[in-house]
Amino acid sequence: MLEVIAVYLGQALIAIGVLCDLVASIGLLRFPNFYLRLHAATVGTIGGAFVPLIGAALLAAGSTYLGAYRWFIAGGALVTAIMVLMLAPAGSHALARAAHRSRAAVVEPKVVNYLEEDEVGKSG
Amino acid sequence: MRRLLGLLVIVLFITLFALVIASGGFGYEVPPSRVRELARQFLVYAYNPFNTTFTVKSPEAVTSIVWDFRGLDTLFETLVFYLAIIGALSLYRGIESGKRAEVISLGLSPIVKTVTKLTAGIIITVAASIALHGHLTPGGGFQGGATAAVAPLLILIVFSKYFLENLGLRKNVLLALRSIGLLGIGVTAFSALIIGLAAGSPAYVFQNQPKPDAPVGLPVHIGDSLISGTLWFFNFFEMFAVAAGFTVIFLLLGIPEGEVLKQLREEVGEH
Repeated sequence: MLEVIAVYLGQALIAIGVLCDLVASIGLLRFPNFYLRLHAATVGTIGGAFVPLIGAALLAAGSTYLGAYRWFIAGGALVTAIMVLMLAPAGSHALARAAHRSRAAVVEPKVVNYLEEDEVGKSG
Repeated sequence: MRRLLGLLVIVLFITLFALVIASGGFGYEVPPSRVRELARQFLVYAYNPFNTTFTVKSPEAVTSIVWDFRGLDTLFETLVFYLAIIGALSLYRGIESGKRAEVISLGLSPIVKTVTKLTAGIIITVAASIALHGHLTPGGGFQGGATAAVAPLLILIVFSKYFLENLGLRKNVLLALRSIGLLGIGVTAFSALIIGLAAGSPAYVFQNQPKPDAPVGLPVHIGDSLISGTLWFFNFFEMFAVAAGFTVIFLLLGIPEGEVLKQLREEVGEH
């Protein structure tokens, strides 16, 4: 019973991952500036990589016909998921920070930019 | 239209050519229906407890080939890598990298630094597992060493070159580590010969397991762990040689260009 629940939950998480990847790729193509596209990319890494990896771990753990080997697959997927969860935000943070500090990315169209307001406040 | 026609001709040619090859039009089957004789021998002799005079006693056929069946070839590959790094070092001769005592303020933000601290340890662990299990699973000394070199590269970018040097990974330390690695490979290559000389029996350079006319060999197990004779030692020392070699190059490339040019101009000015 527990295995069946794990399989269905895993499949649901993988389906969510597919949806996130689709949304992220549309966002990467359609969003107007660097920071918004970076936001779409992080939807792709967390929603589209971390979530389906957890799903794959559950799916493998529930697939009893794989025997003891299913724990190797599940463990590998889980470790990879944790690594992605740790590394992807750090990478996108470093990208955004570098782009802001070097002023390589123009924030246009702009709704609000608190960092810029802070800098103007400091210098003025 | 002409482009489309050209494309059609190319696609048709490739398809027909593939069809002719696949159906045996050149007199041989692709892919072959049976394993080739040389490949069959490698598969049979890589781990063969019944034929102890030709086996390597390692379940990983690639490592058996690389460090035993054609071990001398791999030794010279290692030497080529060693010489390439000596070449790079000679280009940077006499250039000081500069020292800094205060390094905390350098580098990327604390978020990236924290993540790098966690991942650097994981990378070293994975590298050690790749290298030390090289005789059991795909991988080996070079792959493990190249993986291990990613950790100092990450620290170099995220923290700074000076942070890495203050950790003790200076050029001369790494060169010593690299030479110890190569020396270890050399000693391992001669180990069976040394044992043979001590035991008074014939033996070969680069011998691993006993051969028909040379009955000495290295132990297959240490305790209960399979080490496959020389293979574990070769992988172990190769990991150090490769990781230290790559790190030296990263450190040299990390010297700011302005500093290199300044020192070169001073050198020219002296003459």
